[in-house]
Amino acid sequence: MTAVVQATAPPTAPATTARRWRAALRRPMGLIGGGMLIIAVLTALAAPLLAPYDPYAPVRVSIQDIFQAPSGAHPLGTDDGGKDVLSSLIYGARVSLIVGFTAAAITTVVGGLIGIVAGYRGGRIGIGLMSITDFFLVIPEIALQIVIVAIAGQSLVNIILVIGLLGWATTARLVRSQTLSVRERKFVQRARAIGAGDAHILRRHVVPAVLPLMIANTVLVISLAILSESTLAFIGLGDPTVISWGQMLNFAFNRGAISAGAWWALIPPGLAIVWVVLGTTLLGTALEDALNPRLKRHHLEKDRSIAIPRSPAAPLARRAAGDPATVLAVRDLAIEFDSPSGPLRAVDGVSFDLRRGETLGLVGESGCGKTTTILGLLRLLPPGGRIVSGSVRYGDDDLLQLDPAEMREVRWSRLSLVFQGAMNALNPVRPVGDQVAEAIRVHERGIGRRGAARRAGEMLERVGIGRRRYGDYPHTYSGGMRQRAMIALALACRPDIVMADEPTTALDVMIQAQILELLAELGREMGMSVILVTHDLGVVAQTCDRVVVMYGGRVAEEADTARLFADPQHPYTQRLLASFPDLAHPGRRLQGIPGSPPRLDAMPSGCAFHPRCPFAFERCPAEVPPPFDLGDGRRASCFLVEQGAAARPSGPHLPEAPRG
Amino acid sequence: MSGRGRYLLGKAAWALIVVFVVISFNFFLFRVLPGDPAKAGARDPRLSPQSIIALTERFGLDKPVFVNLEDGASPFDSQYFAYLGALSRGDLGMSYAFRDEPVADLLGEALVNTIWLILPAQVLSILLGTMLGLVAAWRRGTALDVVSLTFSLFLWSLPTFFLAILLLVFGSSYLDLPTAGKTTIGAQYASFWEELFDIGRHLAMPTLAFTLVLLGEYMLIMRSSVLDVFSEDYILTAKAKGLSTFRIIRDHAVRNAMLPMVTLIALNLAFTVSGAIQVEQVFSWPGIGDLTVEAISQRDYPVLQGAFILIAVAVVIANFVADIVYGWLDPRVTHA
Repeated sequence: MTAVVQATAPPTAPATTARRWRAALRRPMGLIGGGMLIIAVLTALAAPLLAPYDPYAPVRVSIQDIFQAPSGAHPLGTDDGGKDVLSSLIYGARVSLIVGFTAAAITTVVGGLIGIVAGYRGGRIGIGLMSITDFFLVIPEIALQIVIVAIAGQSLVNIILVIGLLGWATTARLVRSQTLSVRERKFVQRARAIGAGDAHILRRHVVPAVLPLMIANTVLVISLAILSESTLAFIGLGDPTVISWGQMLNFAFNRGAISAGAWWALIPPGLAIVWVVLGTTLLGTALEDALNPRLKRHHLEKDRSIAIPRSPAAPLARRAAGDPATVLAVRDLAIEFDSPSGPLRAVDGVSFDLRRGETLGLVGESGCGKTTTILGLLRLLPPGGRIVSGSVRYGDDDLLQLDPAEMREVRWSRLSLVFQGAMNALNPVRPVGDQVAEAIRVHERGIGRRGAARRAGEMLERVGIGRRRYGDYPHTYSGGMRQRAMIALALACRPDIVMADEPTTALDVMIQAQILELLAELGREMGMSVILVTHDLGVVAQTCDRVVVMYGGRVAEEADTARLFADPQHPYTQRLLASFPDLAHPGRRLQGIPGSPPRLDAMPSGCAFHPRCPFAFERCPAEVPPPFDLGDGRRASCFLVEQGAAARPSGPHLPEAPRG
Repeated sequence: MSGRGRYLLGKAAWALIVVFVVISFNFFLFRVLPGDPAKAGARDPRLSPQSIIALTERFGLDKPVFVNLEDGASPFDSQYFAYLGALSRGDLGMSYAFRDEPVADLLGEALVNTIWLILPAQVLSILLGTMLGLVAAWRRGTALDVVSLTFSLFLWSLPTFFLAILLLVFGSSYLDLPTAGKTTIGAQYASFWEELFDIGRHLAMPTLAFTLVLLGEYMLIMRSSVLDVFSEDYILTAKAKGLSTFRIIRDHAVRNAMLPMVTLIALNLAFTVSGAIQVEQVFSWPGIGDLTVEAISQRDYPVLQGAFILIAVAVVIANFVADIVYGWLDPRVTHA
């Protein structure tokens, strides 16, 4: 689903359950919460040893015993019945924790079972169970608790049952959605396809996947149960035969502690509840975070993506001495990502030029830094990503030296982007036309609401959507239309450069061709330069003037499209071409590239391609090959190229350029 | 029918079903559980003989419970249908404890007071909680975020009644605010404004307690909801379009982040009810919660029943309203 920034978070080993638990307890939140809970449990267990008096022993009370201020004999004073507050407080931990743990266990078992059955079975049973769950979600728990306890009797067992049996709906909902997602996963479907029984699938796949989340949820339910118990006790529905914190507060409050100024009878039990509830909440929240680390990206965090020394009045003029036909000149761009094991290089010394009006293909397997590069050009790296060196010359400016306000001006009005997943790239709750008009209004002040809307309508018309759909929402558009809308959005401000990141992934082949044609046509018409990021060489052959091949965050080869296809120089390019079906030679066998692109945290030394290269020799792992200029704007970063044409591997198996 | 119409109709039907089930459940509950209050009530020594006769008649205690299967009798001549009939007339019976006052009147009066308490606190806490959550999410990981997160978790862990007690003591000893009731007993008011001011003084601390209790939760929900939105691709699009952070938040983040908030605010009404009961008890605020607690200690079952139905129906209606708001905020739900 999140296709736009796929090449960003460095891949790391999958976390095991045990590792996640340790991770949760390493967080300050989990550590503090766990510690608080352990202290409470130990206190409850050791109550007879810790408490100076037995609060359950009958006492003879005389007036002067009541609400005694703290003293040596009673460190926390006495309560309305002349009992030692500290002892009651210590014993009260038992009731709170017993209710909390047992009620949470009931909730988890009932909610878990209902959730798993509803999620796994689906169908009529699932719908029925979910209706019951929705019903219980709506009914205010406290009202039911009060009514049932008031009628059935105020025993501890009733209180536990009521709290436990009424709180399961939330758990059931959570477990159901988790079960549903497990059920749809490939390995479960495969297991089912080869005839695995329900019991087997549940035991081996569903339960292990659901359990960690359930445990984290249980911890949070404990805190809710403890709060519920104290609330019931405070409003007079506690078990009169046991001592609980809520009840202590009830008695103290209703029997004159405030007028007697007996803060010691009120504050300690209140704080005790806070202690246990806060402890469980912290622990549960930390567990949930560790199990469900969903919030990695944050697009509005303070921009820390530039780590290049500022050089206000600097080398631009000198650099700008280049070709006036060049609209964008990228030099030595290097981008790093933070990781637990230190910064990782995702893009390393990338340089290329984009000429006015040309279409440049940026090619390579996934994870080679293509997307990161173009996001870097717009300074839109995700958190943890940083441009550490390089320059991006556009006109007289180095984009990497602009201040944020200037950069905002440049974005979209000069350089725009067509994102990969147009479904998620458009805001689902705003009409598509509005989103196009918004871009125009931001960059063309004074155009006015109606002017912008008119232009946006024209753009929609231009990409073949039609003004009629201006006010419709993205979810009413088909996949192809959404991508067209995205193109309309990208071209709305008539930028000089449009960068398209795999614009046709997830579309069917016919639509793919239409979209690419549309992009190329509009690009030509409006005199724009296009950077097309793709791993589809067919697309490159059809639409690109020149190609930059990337591997392991570096440029492997750069050449005109025709030449690249006719005579690839870098072994990686050769392999890439060999793995691509060639319509001119339909009988040829396709050859995949053995191995997979390197992970950022395991980047090979020297030339990153050497472990997969059939021609690698001793120099390759030792040194990074620089780009060797082969004339006519052609470069390749391979030592074989340096050694001259004689040593150059030639490939009889390589396809000819499809368009000659 | 349009998608929106169908959506609303479906939600309305569901709300009606839930209300009906709640009403039936209420009947069932008060007759099945040990200590059957209907019969127990008829023996209640506090009631006058006339009341006992009236009670027997009202509950039809001499009639069958669900369906009358006797020959010649109407099948609807049963306790259950008598109950439904009474309910449809707004007749919730007579209170045991408050000397034969109709339960509906007691509840109506209390409901007005509870709304006085809940409404300002809800509005305040939603406004403050969403803003705080938004800022904390925007500034994730900064001192501001950590402080407001800790503050919210602490507020969340604080039992409502305990916070209320602390504020009660604080208000009466430092701000000279009254500790109980809605108005000063025996006060003579020169004008309506004076009376309003007196009520305001009584409301100040309960409202503050309630606001703080709700605030923590709303802040936590909003924060996580906004963080979800901030990770979405369309936020990156908005940024790429050159929008300022302020505009991105205003035009792209807030509405989307409010979607889960709407659902959760509605679901949270159960939590609100619980809070109202506690705050009202501590400040002796004459609302539904105070009445309920009073009814518990008096074993005043008709009042307890009536309060249960009122609370449940109010929450169901609030959820229905939330569904309407959701459908209006999110074009996707009314589509499919």
